[in-house]
Amino acid sequence: MNAATLADRRVHFATVPLRFVKSAPSTLLGIPAAFAFISEYGLEWILAFAAGVALLTMFGNWLVWRRFKYGIGAREIVIESGLLNRNRRSIPFDRIQDVDIERGPLQRLFGLAKVRIETGGAAKDEGVLDSVTLAEAHRLRAALRGGRSEALAQAEVAEPEVESRTLFAMALPRVLLSGLFSFSLIYLAGLFGLLQTFRAWLPFDINDPARWLGLIDDRAVQGYFSPAAIAAVLVLALLVGVVAGAVRTLARDYDFRLTLEDGSRFRRERGLFTRTEIVIAKARVQLGLVKTGPLRTRLDAFDLRFQTLSTGKGSEGGHQSVAPFATDAELRAILDAEGRLRLPDPDRLMMVSKRHVLRVALREVLLPLPFILGAAILFPPALLLLGALPLLVGGALLQRHFHRYALSGGLLFVQRGFWRRKLWIVPVARSQAVELTRTFIQRRLGLANLLVDTAGASMLTNPRIHDLRLEAAEQLSAAIVDQLSGRKSGTDR
Amino acid sequence: MNALEPGYLWVMRAHAALGTLIALFPAAIGGIIAHDEAGLPYLTFVVPVLLVSVFTILLRPARLHRAWGYRMDPRDLHIARGVWTRVQTVVPLRRVQHIDIAQGPIERAFGVCRLVLHTAGTMHSRVVLPGLGRATAEDMRDEIRSHIREGAD
Repeated sequence: MNAATLADRRVHFATVPLRFVKSAPSTLLGIPAAFAFISEYGLEWILAFAAGVALLTMFGNWLVWRRFKYGIGAREIVIESGLLNRNRRSIPFDRIQDVDIERGPLQRLFGLAKVRIETGGAAKDEGVLDSVTLAEAHRLRAALRGGRSEALAQAEVAEPEVESRTLFAMALPRVLLSGLFSFSLIYLAGLFGLLQTFRAWLPFDINDPARWLGLIDDRAVQGYFSPAAIAAVLVLALLVGVVAGAVRTLARDYDFRLTLEDGSRFRRERGLFTRTEIVIAKARVQLGLVKTGPLRTRLDAFDLRFQTLSTGKGSEGGHQSVAPFATDAELRAILDAEGRLRLPDPDRLMMVSKRHVLRVALREVLLPLPFILGAAILFPPALLLLGALPLLVGGALLQRHFHRYALSGGLLFVQRGFWRRKLWIVPVARSQAVELTRTFIQRRLGLANLLVDTAGASMLTNPRIHDLRLEAAEQLSAAIVDQLSGRKSGTDR
Repeated sequence: MNALEPGYLWVMRAHAALGTLIALFPAAIGGIIAHDEAGLPYLTFVVPVLLVSVFTILLRPARLHRAWGYRMDPRDLHIARGVWTRVQTVVPLRRVQHIDIAQGPIERAFGVCRLVLHTAGTMHSRVVLPGLGRATAEDMRDEIRSHIREGAD
């Protein structure tokens, strides 16, 4: 199909007045009101002005309508839009996940419908036809759905009766234990905020926590910031943090249950007050993420999440916890059930370049140095901060020790972090793009960052590999791209 | 790596020139105020703006333009960009969800357009390759489209 699909249709003309009516309350009513305030013209002038604006808006809507065209080809839908910035979008049928038809009250009045075309892409409005006649909407849906490949359509049909097997469940003691690790000080801040608000009714002074605890009765003897008072505050904060974390975890993860249904999808149930239940189709799993830390590793406890692809409505995209506090064996069993994911062989994980330490040190030592020295001129004790710098360098060394990666058997493993250790397990076939980045300093040091982009990934935590040697990065990138494009078959997205 | 069309250099220059024009207004007004209030010359702020514009209009676009490059392999599109931070992106053509060809008024005046690839990824849900001739962009789109079908089979 080399002949370009012709974009020869426009949305229904009634869209022009419809859009006008929709936008009228915000634009039209505001103008006379604003005008009346700032001018001394009479009502007739204001009305005339409003009429002028209305006409202009109408004309604008008409222009937008005239310049918006769509067309359906043999295997794609084409949408052209834009007044000055012309845009021509082609959406192949094979990529269309769903076609929604929406009808608001106004649209129903005119017998119209808004057609929303969803693909797996991350953007929201990927293809919106606002609005066409209902008949055209149904015709479009039929045409677009008909063009979609069979495998996808089948995956969405749920069978009524299925065999299911429990993969992972947490009893109460384990939920509580896991709660100890979700220590959080956010609730402490909230608590203090509340106390601050209601302090007039409190029987104690919240700015005086030592007395509050009854640890120090004689304020005059102890001095204002006595070590005991500070220790008391810290202990209290710690306690509140631990209790808050445990309560939150209990409410969320009570009676946590993960089952495998029909061998093709996971079902997760959890919660004390609100019981939630979600289904994750295996085909939707984009990658696995294992979180742990030095203490949890000792306790043989790992937090496993699946990153899933979201599709517009049932917004269950992002990271889904599938086993918040699992042992190594349970972890392996779940990954086994998933089929493609597995844990890496620790011996094959490689460290990034030694110069990673140098770069982190450059960033964390050279940057604060001038500030500390500058501050020291005004306030000499600031020099004590210099003592913190070796700690930062030590931290950098530790980070490098735990930052490892491996590419083996179609999976890319990336491990990062010491205290909050994360291990990404990325099926190469699932990755969307590969990016190699070199900042100015990295180019001087011969280093590069490598990022494999996946669907549904979070902006904050992603399997980026920092400071690989350039050659290593290029080899790895080439190997991933080879595996990614080399395979011919693949219904997976 | 293929370079972008020379037209794109002028698109970037036009954008930068517009920016300079916009910046000149407050600079001129500020100069008048500075003259009246403090006795400074009228061009106190205009001259620095013009000096900066030498960099943004003449030097920077040329460097940026040189930094851009793309290569269409049978299965992937390679894009390189960035002067200070070099970024190389590889998009496997099978991963593309849909494709835009976009053209603004300035781009149209210089005969170039942008090819925008949408993938399902999060960081690179939009991979933009600017500064292509219309014919090149359309050929590339057709080529990529054929891969999308292949990938979905």
